[in-house]
Amino acid sequence: MKAGHPSRRQFLKSTGAAAGLTLAFRVQASAKQAAGQPAFEPNAYLRITPDDRVTLWASKLEMGQGVRTLMPMMIAEELEVDWDRVQIEQPSPGGKFAGIELHTSGSDSSSSQFRTLRIAGAAAREMLVAAAARAWNVDVSACRAARGAVTHTPTGRRQTYGQLATAAAALPVPKSPALKDASAFQLLGTRIRRVDGLAIVTGKAAYGTDVRVPGMLFATIEHAPTLSATLGQFDALAALRVAGVKHVIPVTRGIHPGVAVVATDTWAAVKGRRALRIDWRPGPYSTFDSDQFLAGLQREAFDRATFPVRREGDAAAAMTSAPRQIEASYLFPFHAHATLETMNCTADVRADSAEIWVPTQTDVRTLQQAAKVTGLSPDKIRVHCQLVGGGFGRRLFADFVAEAVEISKTIGQPVQLSWTRQDDMRHGYFQPATAQWFKGGLDASGALVALEHKTQNAALTIYDMHGGRNIWTHAPPTRQIDPDVWGAYDNPYEIRHLRVDCADATSPVPVGPWRAVEYPSTVFGRESFLDELAHLAGADPLAFRLALLPRNVKTVGEYAIDRGRLARVLETVRDRSGWTQPVSLARGRRRGRGVAANVYHADSYIAMVAEVSVASDLSDLRVDRITTVVDCGIALNPLGLEGQTESGITWGLSATLLGKIDFRTGAAVQSTYQDFRVLRIDQMPALDTHILDSHARPGGYGEHPVPPVAPAVANAVFAATGKRIRTLPITPDKIHA
Amino acid sequence: MPVFTVTVNGRARSVTAEADMPLLWVLRDRLNLLGTKYGCGVGVCGACTVHEDGRAVRSCTVTIAAAAGHAYTTIEGLSPAGTHPCQRAWIDEDVAQCGFCQPGMIMEAAALLKTTPAPTDQQIDEALSSHVCRCGTYTRLRRAVHRAAATVATER
Repeated sequence: MKAGHPSRRQFLKSTGAAAGLTLAFRVQASAKQAAGQPAFEPNAYLRITPDDRVTLWASKLEMGQGVRTLMPMMIAEELEVDWDRVQIEQPSPGGKFAGIELHTSGSDSSSSQFRTLRIAGAAAREMLVAAAARAWNVDVSACRAARGAVTHTPTGRRQTYGQLATAAAALPVPKSPALKDASAFQLLGTRIRRVDGLAIVTGKAAYGTDVRVPGMLFATIEHAPTLSATLGQFDALAALRVAGVKHVIPVTRGIHPGVAVVATDTWAAVKGRRALRIDWRPGPYSTFDSDQFLAGLQREAFDRATFPVRREGDAAAAMTSAPRQIEASYLFPFHAHATLETMNCTADVRADSAEIWVPTQTDVRTLQQAAKVTGLSPDKIRVHCQLVGGGFGRRLFADFVAEAVEISKTIGQPVQLSWTRQDDMRHGYFQPATAQWFKGGLDASGALVALEHKTQNAALTIYDMHGGRNIWTHAPPTRQIDPDVWGAYDNPYEIRHLRVDCADATSPVPVGPWRAVEYPSTVFGRESFLDELAHLAGADPLAFRLALLPRNVKTVGEYAIDRGRLARVLETVRDRSGWTQPVSLARGRRRGRGVAANVYHADSYIAMVAEVSVASDLSDLRVDRITTVVDCGIALNPLGLEGQTESGITWGLSATLLGKIDFRTGAAVQSTYQDFRVLRIDQMPALDTHILDSHARPGGYGEHPVPPVAPAVANAVFAATGKRIRTLPITPDKIHA
Repeated sequence: MPVFTVTVNGRARSVTAEADMPLLWVLRDRLNLLGTKYGCGVGVCGACTVHEDGRAVRSCTVTIAAAAGHAYTTIEGLSPAGTHPCQRAWIDEDVAQCGFCQPGMIMEAAALLKTTPAPTDQQIDEALSSHVCRCGTYTRLRRAVHRAAATVATER
């Protein structure tokens, strides 16, 4: 997809706000956003001050994906400064930087900023060169910018950017600064280590939980134990007798009601909480059972298929005439985000203003929630976005912000609210459980001619928080299904007769985006089913996919899917993984390989081969090796991309092999890393990651490696054992069954 | 409230606290040593790992009463300038992503290298498999421990 961009005049301007040169510009996340943006509202600033400092007020938040390293690289490439001299400042929304919108999700950071940051850097460079040429009364073509200074080549005269900045600010902003061709990049495309490595390894990196404000108290909340339960009477006396406990108050502004215990330190708050006596009143969903719900997903839920998602040809007619047909359904359970830093927020609400310190993916909703709870206008509220100890979609919600603000407002003191691990695991916004049903028809030659896919989607509660409602004051929303379900809508394969529908899988469980959103569940189904079809056809599963990929560009709505790029990653992974050679034998173990592929938002292409081994008695399963080939456009920082691949694979393997959240009588069963298991180092397979050279625009990447993991492993398990596992996680007991 | 004396990063510290207060909260809320992180509170994630008399322990499971009289090293005390072989190796291998688990990982690895100067992959896995990294930096973690071990060997 190509993001549209407004005219340069609208896009970039010199503000002349202070000494030095300040360029204000706007980074668009998508073409849709650009279209809905009538006036120029800058959301990023580049400033060069007389002391030679280069500062970028960044519109993206760091949560481990490396944007604080990548953004300076993009600026520096065109500005011609050393990248580590570009300092990132985290803007606070409102105030001086009104209009800045911090919102980090959907793997859009590198793709949305690739063009705009380079234009800003190039424009600044041209202005600095022009200022130098004017000062020396020479032609700009005789001047050269490099490493933070402009040199007049014939005479060797030299001025630093800092010396030139104020004069440059008075010059017109170039409308079309010349950008380097990607082949001329000197910095982008090289392997750059992250900028804050030293801070992290010395323990100095300060996350939200490390915020300390004078006079601050510590709070913990006992939340409603079951979905939709409400607060009855509670007895605070015993809690208030615990040394250090200062306040015990009800909290109503989060997802679930609760009772907060506020104390002079964390431990006193925790002990006070243990002493609470609370009468919870069960609600309509306090008996919710996820096993029953999951069973329903594979049966009656499909009958609620109300939203047509995609139509090509006439799948129903083609299916009836197909000589061979199969159908199958695949189940993806509820999952927690389980970020290592639990939800926390520090709030200081005063009568006429408020300050918030929070590790968040969204300042927008943080500000909305704070304004709603305090009744203050947003310009009276300062939000300090902190380093994030894991986001993965969970921190796109501001429920814990609302709670912290409510507590601070009630007690009239600054407070840091921290959720315990148990709170975090049981009271979050979960990855919705969904089932995917497929029916496929092969013609006489074994080619796939018809595919029906019924996907499911839950109304993401995110929209509810966005609208500022507490979900339990309303029935679970229904029928707010997004028909453009990722991975179902943008199925990249050429299938002459294709029909995709979406059914509602909304439950009383609060759900929200989880790493890669719908792709992990839809792609698990789609790529597993393709494997089943290939085996039915007697075809090699990788060759079967290649046969469905004519080298053309398929347009689906706003997506332009380049099937040639997908074919290329599949061919490369075939060659790199040894796909065509027999798997090596190991005594007492069965081995197999499986393949899966995906296209993320039409701009990142990935193929993965997993190699697994299973004990002969089927008592254990190991993923031994994963080979990944990626085309995500120009690889801006291969070291970072490889790290994200390793990260996405680990995330995917946790869901493939280990974790899920069950609900019994309205409560999440799992509450620690012991029962909601995530991958540990001893289960980490050998990884071979290959990033293809590409001239395409950089695509999103933080989520991209997650979806193919589960189907590649499931397909490998089938190859090794003949067992087809259609429900995650893939545990030895399912292989044994 | 009783008073306890513990040695932290070479300094004797006097702490007034309930006897059952976990060392983790003593470090964070009383001594303002914020590099040691809370991840689970029940000893299963490793984020709060510190050294107790040179041995890696989970500070969330050690009470201040039990800690009294022992000497602790936190990430802040491992090497203030960040020059411990593990810290250098972590930077060289570009291990961290969100970074929240890494102080605990580094403390575990530093303790491992004291007893096992040249660990195998399996020994690294045994030591670090009690830690959680939700970003999935395991591949680089292994490489970084090997690199740190090599540094220790050459600098000995």
